[in-house]
Amino acid sequence: MAEIQKLFDDEFMNALREVTLEGIHNAARGFSGMLGQPLTVSQPSIEFVPVFQIPERMAELESEAVAIYLKAEGELTGHMVLILPLKTAYDLVDMLMDQPTGTTCELGSLERSALGEIGNISGAYFLNLVNERTGQSSRPTTPAVIVDMVGAILDVLVAILCVECEEVILLQTTFSCSNRQLDVTFWVIPDSNSLKAYLQRT
Amino acid sequence: MENVITVGLGESVLSRNPQDVLVAFGLGSCLGIAFYDPYMKIAGLLHAVLPEYVNNSHAPGERFVDTGIENTLKEMVAAGAIQASLHIRMVGGANMLVSAELSRTFDIGTRNIASAYKTLERLRLKLACQEVGGNIGRTVRLYVANGRMTVRSIGGTEHDLG
Repeated sequence: MAEIQKLFDDEFMNALREVTLEGIHNAARGFSGMLGQPLTVSQPSIEFVPVFQIPERMAELESEAVAIYLKAEGELTGHMVLILPLKTAYDLVDMLMDQPTGTTCELGSLERSALGEIGNISGAYFLNLVNERTGQSSRPTTPAVIVDMVGAILDVLVAILCVECEEVILLQTTFSCSNRQLDVTFWVIPDSNSLKAYLQRT
Repeated sequence: MENVITVGLGESVLSRNPQDVLVAFGLGSCLGIAFYDPYMKIAGLLHAVLPEYVNNSHAPGERFVDTGIENTLKEMVAAGAIQASLHIRMVGGANMLVSAELSRTFDIGTRNIASAYKTLERLRLKLACQEVGGNIGRTVRLYVANGRMTVRSIGGTEHDLG
């Protein structure tokens, strides 16, 4: 059993699963509202993952992608990341700006800002729901938009996480839009120390 | 036929099989440090994540730039490489989080590079060439047969380094 698993019993994990599932659906509502298109949410998974195995969760480490990264700060802390292939990011920008598909072919400051706003909305909606259910207060940081190879993006995430811990709780889902080819991976990684502190307070 | 061996985060791989190509995919803030003995044809590639070993850490030394360089050097020498002959090259150490709130505290790429310079100087190792810093990721390939090293970044073509 992973060390981190010993900190949280089944009852807590079930409660965590329930709250984050609601949070993820709320995030999808925010994302969908901004997009003006309905989104579906794949069944989220919750796993205990050694930090250095995180890159194994994604295929094709050399493929080009965009990540929108936010930290959650406040009483409950953690990390949120949206990851999508570069081509999907172009299509997403076209949808946001109500342009024909294929219009966007590079990400300048305006396009990155639009993508950052998707991260901001998704993160804020997720945290709002979690705050409501737990009575805690958290807020997202300004999003960072990274355009690079998948491996380099995950490299940064691992470097951030491994300073804090060896293993994490990783919540993963995918937002999809059936009207357009759009699959966006959404990861939530709560900080286990802040979860422990929350358990001690309640 | 080439045999690709992935060198993951916090790992170091040595080889003397001429068909092997050691690859570190997507170096962001991490450093890929390549060691090659052109006479013995032994290659080593380190994929280090953090700048300096933390006291009492149980994590593998290869995770850190300083202990990773030390350990990889020891392994190279133990495998028959001659320290004075080593051709050492370094890639990575980018600072990729461009965000006013985050980049102030997240400069691991820069600190990794500084730790590498300090460690190489302490061990009296000479750096032959490097491609470090900036804010883009890079993939490196080290060919064991002849020590060729290539670097590729997003949107770019693969080019030789040193």
